[in-house]
Amino acid sequence: MGLLQRLATLLPLANHWLHRFHGGVSPQYNKSLSASQPLRTTLMPSQLVLPLQQPVGLPAEPIVQVGERVKKNQLLAQAGKDPRKALIVPIHAPTSGTIEAIMPMTLPHPSGLEDLCIVLKPDGLDEAIDNALQVDGSAPQTPQALKDILLQAGIIGMGGAGFPTYAKIPSEAGKIHTLLVNGAECEPFITCDDLLMQTHADEIVRGALITAHALGAKRILCGIETNKPAAINAMRHAAKQLQHDNLKVEIKEVATVYPMGAQKQLTFELTGVEMPSKAHAVDLGMLMMNVATYAAIYRAVTLGEPLTSRIVTVSGLGLEKPFNMPVMIGTPFVELAEAAKPKVALDYPLVMGGPMMGFQVQNNQVPVLKTTNCILANPPEPAEMQMPCIRCGACMDACPVNLLPQQMYWHAQAHEFDKVEKLNVFDCIECGCCSYVCPSHIPLVQYYRHAKSEIKTIKAEQQATELAKQRHEFKLARIEREKEEREARLKAKKEAVKQEVAAASSAATDAAKPAKSAAAAAAAARAAAARKAKSAATQAESPAIPPARLKAIEAAKAASARAAKQTAEKSPEKTQQAGAEDTTLDAKAAARKAAQLAAQKRAQAKVSGNIEISDNKESANTPDSKPDPKAAAKAAAMKAAAQRREKTQQAGSSQTAEASTSPKTEAIDLTGSSEATPASEKEAARKAAMAAAREAAKARAAAKKQPVSEALSAAEPGASSSEVAPDPAEAARLKREKAMQAAKARAAQKRQAADNSNAASDASSQESSS
Amino acid sequence: MTALSSPYAHNNQSVRKVMLQVQLAALPALLAHIYLFGYGIVIQWMLAVTTAIVVEYVMLTLRGRPVLPFMTDMSALITVTGLVFCIPPEAPWWIVVSGSAFALIFGKHLYGGLGYNPFNPAMLGYAFLLISFPVPMTQWTMPGEVVGYTLDFMHSAQVIFMGHFDGNSLDMITGATPLNELRTGLSQGVMVPDTLRAHDSQLPWGLNSWAWINIAFILGGLYMILNGTISWQYPLGFLGALSAMALLFHAIDPAVYPPLSFVLLSGGTMLAAFFIITDPVTASTTPRGKLIYAAGIGVLVYVIRSWGAFPDGIAFAILLMNIAVPLIDQYTQPRVFGHSR
Amino acid sequence: MIEAIIVFLGLAIVFGLLLGYASLRFKVEGNPMAERIDKVLPQTQCGQCGFPGCKPYAEALAKGESEVNLCIPGGTEVMIQISEITGREPKEMDAEAAEPKPKEVAFIDEDLCIGCVLCIKECPVDAILGATKQMHTVIQKECTGCEKCVPVCPVDCISMQPIEITTKNWQWPEPQTVQEAK
Repeated sequence: MGLLQRLATLLPLANHWLHRFHGGVSPQYNKSLSASQPLRTTLMPSQLVLPLQQPVGLPAEPIVQVGERVKKNQLLAQAGKDPRKALIVPIHAPTSGTIEAIMPMTLPHPSGLEDLCIVLKPDGLDEAIDNALQVDGSAPQTPQALKDILLQAGIIGMGGAGFPTYAKIPSEAGKIHTLLVNGAECEPFITCDDLLMQTHADEIVRGALITAHALGAKRILCGIETNKPAAINAMRHAAKQLQHDNLKVEIKEVATVYPMGAQKQLTFELTGVEMPSKAHAVDLGMLMMNVATYAAIYRAVTLGEPLTSRIVTVSGLGLEKPFNMPVMIGTPFVELAEAAKPKVALDYPLVMGGPMMGFQVQNNQVPVLKTTNCILANPPEPAEMQMPCIRCGACMDACPVNLLPQQMYWHAQAHEFDKVEKLNVFDCIECGCCSYVCPSHIPLVQYYRHAKSEIKTIKAEQQATELAKQRHEFKLARIEREKEEREARLKAKKEAVKQEVAAASSAATDAAKPAKSAAAAAAAARAAAARKAKSAATQAESPAIPPARLKAIEAAKAASARAAKQTAEKSPEKTQQAGAEDTTLDAKAAARKAAQLAAQKRAQAKVSGNIEISDNKESANTPDSKPDPKAAAKAAAMKAAAQRREKTQQAGSSQTAEASTSPKTEAIDLTGSSEATPASEKEAARKAAMAAAREAAKARAAAKKQPVSEALSAAEPGASSSEVAPDPAEAARLKREKAMQAAKARAAQKRQAADNSNAASDASSQESSS
Repeated sequence: MTALSSPYAHNNQSVRKVMLQVQLAALPALLAHIYLFGYGIVIQWMLAVTTAIVVEYVMLTLRGRPVLPFMTDMSALITVTGLVFCIPPEAPWWIVVSGSAFALIFGKHLYGGLGYNPFNPAMLGYAFLLISFPVPMTQWTMPGEVVGYTLDFMHSAQVIFMGHFDGNSLDMITGATPLNELRTGLSQGVMVPDTLRAHDSQLPWGLNSWAWINIAFILGGLYMILNGTISWQYPLGFLGALSAMALLFHAIDPAVYPPLSFVLLSGGTMLAAFFIITDPVTASTTPRGKLIYAAGIGVLVYVIRSWGAFPDGIAFAILLMNIAVPLIDQYTQPRVFGHSR
Repeated sequence: MIEAIIVFLGLAIVFGLLLGYASLRFKVEGNPMAERIDKVLPQTQCGQCGFPGCKPYAEALAKGESEVNLCIPGGTEVMIQISEITGREPKEMDAEAAEPKPKEVAFIDEDLCIGCVLCIKECPVDAILGATKQMHTVIQKECTGCEKCVPVCPVDCISMQPIEITTKNWQWPEPQTVQEAK
């Protein structure tokens, strides 16, 4: 290694033999600017700004009031929802003081957007709550115990991504066999981890041991770049002192090359395992965290201190006295930069992070976050003009992920995002190596960032479009169905005129017999009609009555009986009157005529030979079969719907509503029809019909609330009746027919009711149907 | 115009610097050329550069592009330098002027300028000259070792602009290149070893002037590889494939196929290997693609030299492989980290 | 002479068979053009094209019964895609539609809403929730921004509002190119 290193200083090509991953660059590190200075004491800022929104997850909810005095380490905001699902981390006060405001402030984010922040005015006393997390100082024995403390302490990955640490750790012990410590601070200028390792090596090592112990890890590997000899020595020393029960931290020197500190690259370097593109390190039994995160874990677990401060490098070519300092989270950038004696006025944007992967903040007042490792003040230089790509391939040679940056750029600028995606743009770690070496000064990384967000947007849009299409088509189908229902109602209205006559007469015939209650009369009328229908059907299709039909007829009988019974219970007087008044010879004759007509029609149906059609007609012809499919089908449908959907409550309520109203409607229907002839009863009938219509409308409205269940109800009756149909193709047809029939019957019956009623009730039914 | 996105650091490389590196690396060959063939090449080079400046200015203005940054990117300089090395040193002035103009206008600007041209402009210009003016393009000035003297600057200028010097015809000092002689010899029934023997050189190690120019190119090429200006895959693939072909066929029939040393050190072999095929705009860019692309050129060069209609096949070999670049790039994409192939 | 005729006859038969086979072998089911057009349409179902939804417009386009520049929400981009699919000349969009508008969603001022259900009926994708006499609300995720509900509201309580940009949905802007390829 030593020989190679010496060779590499002479020959840049040899640099590539020093590390395992492809590419990488060796930028001007400028680390001595800040690393040569000792750690400075914490600066007490004039105000602290604590964004509720962390880099990852949803924002926390404040639990303090404006004007409230808080102590250091006091909890200021916590998760309102389940923190584990929403990746929310709590926020603690970095020092004592009063809450000045909770208002939107500019975030340290490349967009420069504003979001809610807690503004804390320090009082300078720095009164602290000791052991704010109330730990007993013992090492957690299970991953869950550790995770609980980490969640409370608000610890997130301090290397840059800021993923909540508790969410990163698996819950099962023994899942992690190798714990990795990232001490490869590869960005130019940044030395905060270097200084931390030099000054707090024991905390890092202890933190790693605690974590490894809780997770049951067998091995701890720490990778430190060769350009930090002091840190390597300090860490080696601490690791030697602190090893216990076969666990010790192995310190490994890794080549100084950018981006050595990238998770996948360092993992590859330390273990030789190339992490698959979509996999997480945890899936491979490895867990990598930054040295600062381990130190924070140690402080949380043994001292009960939440994460409220971190070491920040304040450096840059524009500063007289760069330094490293433990900084309270929330300290404004500009106060730190001013403390480093800027050479010229800070009227240029500061950079959060290093020059390779950091971003310019839109406002120098933005606060330090838990992920802020560096504040960089590099005065702007005249930018080189962007030239066309000359396909030199320097970017490709520099890419640590072995992508084809040049081809991705080509497609990205042509907005061929599908091709960019095919070139694995989502594997890009945005390290900036390609832009760094590009002789044409093309902002390649920005092209990829743009392409990535475009691809995400396009995908989201595609999903939204697909959803909109489905919803629209569903709506169209529903409108179509409603139209059909209306048409069926119209048709049924015509039939109803005939049926009224027939039903009245048949009722009259039966009622002519002496000593029979009105209820019995009505029931008999139904039964007679059903019998007639049945016998007619038997005559017409005696060779083979489809079982489905038989079943339907049986169901019809049962339903009609039930309906009649209800009618009797509900309005006995009305029926009585009807029965009494209907005993006229004229009615008899009319009934006979109607029956003949029905018979003729049936005969026609027979000629056509289509069972389905005859079936259909019959159901339309005979009033008895009307309620049957509806009731039977609905019950079946609702049951199925209820079973399928877990929204039992809603489904159940609508089902019961339907079920309870439909017989009522039918019952009133029947009375209506049996009363139709006498003019004196018309008024009463209309009233009853109106009531029925309203009730039906309500029920339908309730059912309509979940159109899916409605759709199911339309489809299900077919399913229940087609079980008996032998041929699958026939069954399918039958299914459709039955569904239609059910729908039509329902519609007809409703129409009949509505028909008698006035315009108002019509409107109400329409409204509810929409 | 500030950079919005990171990185905010750069290695200070630029297109201009890359091009100047290439120009610098061509210097040894230029000096060797002057020493061995006289000052003709200097005049040609100056003519070409003047043409390039004029053409660049006119074309950039016509295309409505910023003139200064694109004039100073030095890519036209590299194009015409490559072309000048392919032209006989005492060729008439209009040869180099029309060739340079064609290379830049049709080879570069009509395709959209720097970075957008599919064909190597220098080779396009050379092919244009070779096809349009075959006679002056094959009349090479003989080196000093053959004629006994080299023309000085004024005499070269006379020849180039007037076609004669001091009343002497151009034919006095021109002849066929070794590659050409080999070909004519074969067509007249003279075997390769005899042709080669007839032209033994007095220069060190028995290498003729053309070979020495090639060696100068190797020097420049190694310099560029070491400082990372060009990829090593290009010369390796090209020379490897050419050597393999030469060794194979020389072993089969030494009487017809020249030996390896002759193949490698004649014509524009090394110019192509280090300066022409390494033009990144028109070459394949993936690591394996570079090897395949260069090897393809190597094979084609040998094929054209041995069985084609032209003594040196470099221009056509490169142009042919230029066509194949998108295909090669498509199928030689490297394995991305974390992906199985 | 006779040979020539025979040869050409033979060739005609061979190619005829080939064509016939190809038309059977590579038969395309349905009307893929209408489906392809439907795919590129934004599915806002806004009806600004004069058709009752995106699909009817796509079908009309496939039959060649409609102009390619009627999709207002899609703008020029969709118009060009349509003309590519249909193989027809691209046509200028109307001035206001040429510029793509940022996506907006409907927003109901819930204090003003009287619960008339008119907007619910109008919404092509059922993205408005509510019932008679009850305040309505828009499911923002499902709103396509077709603006159909805006005019029907009797109390003008519906407005179109751009989607708020947060750090979660913020996008890196595209770098400005100094030199655009001409």
